[in-house]
Amino acid sequence: MNHRSLAFRLALWYTLLLGATFALVGMGMFYGLEQYLHSSLRDSLRRRSSQVEQILQQDQAVISSAQISDAISTRVSPEFNNRFVRVTRAPGTLIYRSGPPADRSFDPNAMPPIPGSWLDDTMGRRTVTLPNQRLMVNATRIDTPSGRYLIELGSSLQSIDGLQDRLLALLGLLLPVLVICAAGGGYLLVNWALRPVDRMSQTAEHMSMQNLDARLPVLPTGDALQRLSLSLNHMLGRLRDSVQISRRFLADASHELRTPLTVIKGELQEIVGGDAAQGEVRERIGSVLEEVARLEHLVSGLLALSRLDAGEAQREWLDVDLVELAASTAEQMRLIAEDRGIQLQFPHSAPMIVRGDQCRLKQVIVNLLDNAIRFTPRGGGVTLRTGDSGGDIVLEVLDTGMGIPPAALTRVFDRFYRVDEARSRDDGGAGLGLSIAQSICLAHGAQIEVHSEVGHGSCFRLRFPRPLANAARPARAPMPQMRS
Amino acid sequence: MRLLIVEDDCKVADFVARGLRAEGFAVDLAGDGREGRGYIDSYQYDLLILDLMLPLISGSELLRLVRRSNPTLPVLVLTARDATEDKVKHFEAGADDYLTKPFDFAELLVRVKSLLRRTPVERTDVILVSNLELNRLTHQVRRGGQNIELTSKEYALLEYLLSSPSRVFTRSMILEHVWDQSFEGVTNIVDVYVRHLRRKVDDPFPVKLIHTVRGVGYCVRETQQAAGPQVQ
Repeated sequence: MNHRSLAFRLALWYTLLLGATFALVGMGMFYGLEQYLHSSLRDSLRRRSSQVEQILQQDQAVISSAQISDAISTRVSPEFNNRFVRVTRAPGTLIYRSGPPADRSFDPNAMPPIPGSWLDDTMGRRTVTLPNQRLMVNATRIDTPSGRYLIELGSSLQSIDGLQDRLLALLGLLLPVLVICAAGGGYLLVNWALRPVDRMSQTAEHMSMQNLDARLPVLPTGDALQRLSLSLNHMLGRLRDSVQISRRFLADASHELRTPLTVIKGELQEIVGGDAAQGEVRERIGSVLEEVARLEHLVSGLLALSRLDAGEAQREWLDVDLVELAASTAEQMRLIAEDRGIQLQFPHSAPMIVRGDQCRLKQVIVNLLDNAIRFTPRGGGVTLRTGDSGGDIVLEVLDTGMGIPPAALTRVFDRFYRVDEARSRDDGGAGLGLSIAQSICLAHGAQIEVHSEVGHGSCFRLRFPRPLANAARPARAPMPQMRS
Repeated sequence: MRLLIVEDDCKVADFVARGLRAEGFAVDLAGDGREGRGYIDSYQYDLLILDLMLPLISGSELLRLVRRSNPTLPVLVLTARDATEDKVKHFEAGADDYLTKPFDFAELLVRVKSLLRRTPVERTDVILVSNLELNRLTHQVRRGGQNIELTSKEYALLEYLLSSPSRVFTRSMILEHVWDQSFEGVTNIVDVYVRHLRRKVDDPFPVKLIHTVRGVGYCVRETQQAAGPQVQ
């Protein structure tokens, strides 16, 4: 679980808040109940107390303890009602004390004697704690013709305490469960609410220059998320437009260059072919023509790239045996390698079928081999290898050349990028070969990667996803048409 | 043989027309689609060379009109666009052949001649240039009565160069015929093979037959002096 994630933090806050609320409510309930139960017990004690008062007030004359006891026993019946009654007459004569209650909740004999100061003030209410129990005692002092009395009426707090204990246990058990449920639920809820954002970011992750037509899912939430998805989509639209403009510019510029090139080439070739130019002039025009050829190569490379960018038609895609294609290409390039004193090796392996445009795939192999041969010194070796790696079909071109510095590794596929400006320009490289190879690979859903060690050589690796048994063509080639 | 070139770029039209006239063709030039249509309606042509991006009436439109009135007229389309789908589209619209700018005039001439069915007819089994002899049936190459062993690519290259002796073949033409487009511009494969071919065919002999025309390509001919125009 990611502790910094929005879902986690939201759930944490939510849980804390909920926990605090529950705790407060629980406390309120607990103390409110206590208040209520105590006050109703108090009222009941007062009522009983006033009954006793009436008994004591009844007879103006001197009354005996026995009379009072009888009266209280019959009218108040404290034992039956589980009440404690004690009547004391000043200065300290015990007139009446109730017997053990029916529920045996307390022992009346264990009640502490009343303090001597009771004659001076009303003792009021107090809670007496006996061994194993608590009692609430209501004391009332009355003055009657027969003397001053203290009436004490008490009741066990056992049932109230029991009720409170049960409530506490219930709350203590229920609250954590509720809070944990709420926390879990809240975390899931936030995650669920954020899932569209996840989907958006996943879609955005898979976007590349090749599929700028794709759009993020718009969330019909009517809130910030919907606005976010809409504005991201608008941004993608503008991005696509500007990319298309630059691609169209590239394509148009390349096209426009072709006509003047035709004229230059045609006129110069005519001069060279005719008798008009001889010797030095002929040589110079030849040199210009070589540059024209280079320019032409450059223009066709740019056009190829702009077409690949635009997403070429796939109708010419067939099952191609990569091994056989590599073998024939290597065979054709062998002489070039030998001419440079480089040994070109291609260990044969079993056929491996990929789906694609044979000419384009061949171009990739040619470009990679050409690149390897160009940057490998005399006496070195270039190896073309096909194989299987992790379920993918892999084609590797290894050389024992000068290698590519780490800083340049990420840029070797960039258009017009040259690791060594001077050298490759002399060799006629336009700096487009690897870029074209990469574009073709992308169009075929293949990956191209490079590993290199300066001074030891480089390895370019193509990784083709293995065609599924019943793969439909579009599924294997995620390349939307971008022509508009 | 009368040809019509419909091309709005007058410089391209000019040098093509000049080259074709030097080859003995009668050539008319039209600068836009409407003018081209006028010419086609008025004269009988043996071949139409058509640029696709034309003012007034586009090349594709003109091609459709021509096909409606004259279904047999051979049409060679010139264009700066070479996407495969474009090619297919124009072949469907009735173009007989297709050439992408920037093209070599030599290549254009080959296409024109083959559309007019003039060159390929005289296909002989044995080609002889000076004392170099190539037998198309047995794939044997001999010079001065001496057998020369060639690899299949070397043989293909020599056969192509000999298919029209003393004509200059550009590197891109050679690439396209002997290899394929994948090798275009990427490598000096043609030069390497020509060097190897020379080592076998020319080096042991005092008279050199394979000549380099710098900036253009190669040709096979008897002597340097006999070098006429780049096309035969």
